[in-house]
Amino acid sequence: MEQADAVDAARPSARETTMKRKAIEVAAALGLILPGAAMAAGGDGSGSGPFAGDIGNALWTLVIFLLVVWVLGRFAWGPLLNALQSRERFIRESLEEAKKDRDEAAAQLARHEERMAEARAEATAIVEEGRRDADVVKQRIEVKAQEEADKMIERARREIGIAKQTAVHDLYAQAADMATELAGRIIDKELDPATHTELIAGAIGDLGLPERS
Amino acid sequence: MGSLLEISSGGSPLDHVVQHPLKEIQVDLGGFLTPGGVMTVLSDQITMLILAGILLVVLVPRAMRRFSTDEGIEGLVPKGSANFIESICEYLRAEVARPVLHQHTDRFIPYIWSVFFFVLTVNVLGLLPIPAISALFGTHVGGTATANIWATGTLAVLTLIMMVTNGLRFGGTTYLAHFCPGPLWLAPLLVPVELIGLIAKTFALAVRLFANMIAGHILLAVLLGFILQAGTGIGAGAGLGVAVPVVLGSVAISLLEIFVAFLQAFIFTFLTSLFIGMSVVLDH
Repeated sequence: MEQADAVDAARPSARETTMKRKAIEVAAALGLILPGAAMAAGGDGSGSGPFAGDIGNALWTLVIFLLVVWVLGRFAWGPLLNALQSRERFIRESLEEAKKDRDEAAAQLARHEERMAEARAEATAIVEEGRRDADVVKQRIEVKAQEEADKMIERARREIGIAKQTAVHDLYAQAADMATELAGRIIDKELDPATHTELIAGAIGDLGLPERS
Repeated sequence: MGSLLEISSGGSPLDHVVQHPLKEIQVDLGGFLTPGGVMTVLSDQITMLILAGILLVVLVPRAMRRFSTDEGIEGLVPKGSANFIESICEYLRAEVARPVLHQHTDRFIPYIWSVFFFVLTVNVLGLLPIPAISALFGTHVGGTATANIWATGTLAVLTLIMMVTNGLRFGGTTYLAHFCPGPLWLAPLLVPVELIGLIAKTFALAVRLFANMIAGHILLAVLLGFILQAGTGIGAGAGLGVAVPVVLGSVAISLLEIFVAFLQAFIFTFLTSLFIGMSVVLDH
């Protein structure tokens, strides 16, 4: 402060000072565009040190600040606070809902899986049963076919037997007839041995049977 | 050029950062409230207070208008210019106010937001070279209003009022009991200490912001004064030689000041929240 006082004492006339101050201010404004530089030219010095100021500053600050608090509180912070609160609420609700949905989905999935497993077991059981039924049917068919075949063979055999008996019967009958006829011819004419043999061979040949030993 | 340097080199750096009254009236409210029997009606710093007030009152509600107009989900989606203010507000609400104010957060948050944006705007406006520009038109406006102890003091006193009135409102006798945290026979010792603590908090709040804001400006003025001192003391060439590092240094300091402007606005807001929280959240 001593230095400042000394300078104050040595200052030129007020008019001259003002002019020069302005010149410096212009130079500083053009050259440096720093607040300090411009202020470096100001310096009329209210003389109260760094604590310069009075109740006037306090009143202005009070009025302007309270005005800002009131206007912003009414027209800016109110709507903003509402928005922030409802966003918070919305996010919380959305998250809760998402969690609920997810839990529900998980439960439903478990239920579905259970049902799928049940269905699969049922399908396996059905297939198994079908196979078993098929086996039974197959066996029954086989048995039946076997029986039928046996029956057919039996019948065929019986028929063959009957046919054979009939043939033998016929043979006997025919043989008897021929013997009767032969005996008649023998009686009709005297036979030499050669004729005899010839007769018998002829009779046998008529029968169409192979010669018996 | 020589005469220019001659005059300017002499002034104290303080002269360049204190307020310069534009209009004063003769009022005598005592040497403390009105030093020299005058009261400042208008000064360069007061013009900046008014400018800050106008900017805030006009621009912030404009930016926030979408919250009143946009409906449903659209109103909840952060976007646009509102998001700039909104993100700061949301940070202050969630990270600064809520940890200290708990259930009272939304009651006090509008005040806290106002404090932050008011201090920030005034701090930042003080960094603009408005004085240099206004000098071209022969007037003297601009400057940092928060580099005035009366302005920061007013804000700090408002914080004190918020602390005490809301402490009494929500705590009542519990709040008063906090002024004597020990046994009753120690009250004559504890109550004055607590009261001094309350005043000290307020005082520190005012001085912290004021000192931080004025210090950077003084530093800039001192640095730039070197040019003029070298110019007058040694010669114009020396002045120019000194100018290069000084201007570079001033740029760096100015960048630091931008940071400090934000930081101090935050600290003032943080401490205001903390102090109000200490008064109204008594169950700790």
